[in-house]
Amino acid sequence: MLRKYWKTAALEATGYIGDDPMFFVQFIFRFLRVIVLLSVWRMILANQEINSGMSLAAVLTYTLIGEVFHEQLNPQTGLAWALLRGKIAYSMIQPIGLVEQFSSKMVGHWLFNFALFSIPLLLISPLLGVTPTPVSLTVAFLFMLSLLLCISVGVALDFIITALGMVYFEQTIYAIERVRTALTLLLSGAIIPLAFMPWNLGEVLAWLPFASTASAPLKIYTGTGDPWFTIGVQLGWSIILWPLSHWLWESNREKLVSFGG
Amino acid sequence: MKTLARLVRLWRLYTYLDFMLMTRSLKLFVTFLITDTIFNIAAVTATLLLAERFNGIGAWSKFQIVFVVGYATLVGGLLDMFFTYNILFISRRLGRGQLDHVLIQPQSIWMAFFTEGFNPFTASGSVLVGSGLMIWAGMKLQISVSFLWGVSLILNVLSSMAVVLSFAFLWGSLAFWAPRAAEEITTPLIRIFSNLKSFPFDGLGPLLLAGVTVIVPVAFMAWYPSRYLLGLDASITGATVTPLAALVISVFAVLVFRKGLEHYGRTGSQRYDDLGHRS
Repeated sequence: MLRKYWKTAALEATGYIGDDPMFFVQFIFRFLRVIVLLSVWRMILANQEINSGMSLAAVLTYTLIGEVFHEQLNPQTGLAWALLRGKIAYSMIQPIGLVEQFSSKMVGHWLFNFALFSIPLLLISPLLGVTPTPVSLTVAFLFMLSLLLCISVGVALDFIITALGMVYFEQTIYAIERVRTALTLLLSGAIIPLAFMPWNLGEVLAWLPFASTASAPLKIYTGTGDPWFTIGVQLGWSIILWPLSHWLWESNREKLVSFGG
Repeated sequence: MKTLARLVRLWRLYTYLDFMLMTRSLKLFVTFLITDTIFNIAAVTATLLLAERFNGIGAWSKFQIVFVVGYATLVGGLLDMFFTYNILFISRRLGRGQLDHVLIQPQSIWMAFFTEGFNPFTASGSVLVGSGLMIWAGMKLQISVSFLWGVSLILNVLSSMAVVLSFAFLWGSLAFWAPRAAEEITTPLIRIFSNLKSFPFDGLGPLLLAGVTVIVPVAFMAWYPSRYLLGLDASITGATVTPLAALVISVFAVLVFRKGLEHYGRTGSQRYDDLGHRS
């Protein structure tokens, strides 16, 4: 029953290596980026034991795990591009639902990056002076639960923003996508922990759906947030966003397809 | 002189085309302007928020950081203004088999690359934001602006642009040999520049400093030039390091790109995708 989803994911995962091992170079750049980011945090938090409830060690773990699960914490299905380029037409005729199809592709993409970037990064993390393990087994379990909810919220947001973008900004979906990515990274706490935002901005942002993506699982992983409250907020957003996403797609389906085709 | 006149003439032509694109629809124009501005502000907001929260970063005061952020935004904005339509992301054009679009034109490749991506209206948002941040920081820091300082600023901005563009071409040329695998190789590169451009690197150890200076020269996008322009390093080395780096990387980029062109002359491209070029 799951074969069609697995095959879709496998096709996406292996698509990268069909040409040349040159694709590997980009991962070297990603490693360098993480190492520099960790050093920047060390510089910012030098001589500060605890700041906003986070120790330097916690911030480093937050940054490293944020990079390890970068794709999962900021899930993007690629739906907007498929619509923009008309490739949605091919997707519509395949014997597999749109959400399942794009989600499978997304997972395939993750597998490839996970094998070549995330696992090696985790393995070398002690060399970078970062403790990659969660504070306890319970926390590890809660993190996985939170990560699943994060993906659920992220994919729902992806479908909603794409639907709205294609209907109201169909010629500028590229620009909308750029803004969405930049704002999501900032508001979700993927770049800097929300606790480090000035003027108590973090407390406000914590209630937005964006914070239910990156910030929530990372806070749980580093033991710097109340896990049950965080998971509750994520669950709430998931319950709100999926029906909204479904309704938007149903009511705009014809219009979306006409743009795509 | 003749080349310069043609350069200006083509920029004027692309200015007109960009103006027509923008005025074709007010909604389109406003959307592009706002989204571009939001994107560029969001890209540097993290650094600004950290500077506000910690009253600076490392040895840099809050408004010195604002200056660095403004400088980085200005350089990024100018790159967007002059080298859009995937000129900066050159590996996409090469990997998608779009170089032929340029080769069939009755002008040199370099002339096309220096003019084809010019869009002064669409990309004006971040240039304005960057300039605004620099002026604001300059006023707060009471920088004494002399003629020499102005010349240094222009020279450093041009050099920073040259470093990023050359580095993109240096690595992007790999797409000549591996069009599928290296099509997106400039994307993580430019992402590194976007993510790290506005951070000061003072606290990095010698190995990492070499990494951001030589391996991925992101330090030249704002940190080195700002150190000189803010008077934190008034030495001759400080004044010349960014222009020299630009020169060295540009020479390497030209050599590698030419080598790639020779390869392309023998093999051509077996791929074609029409996405992303100026049509």
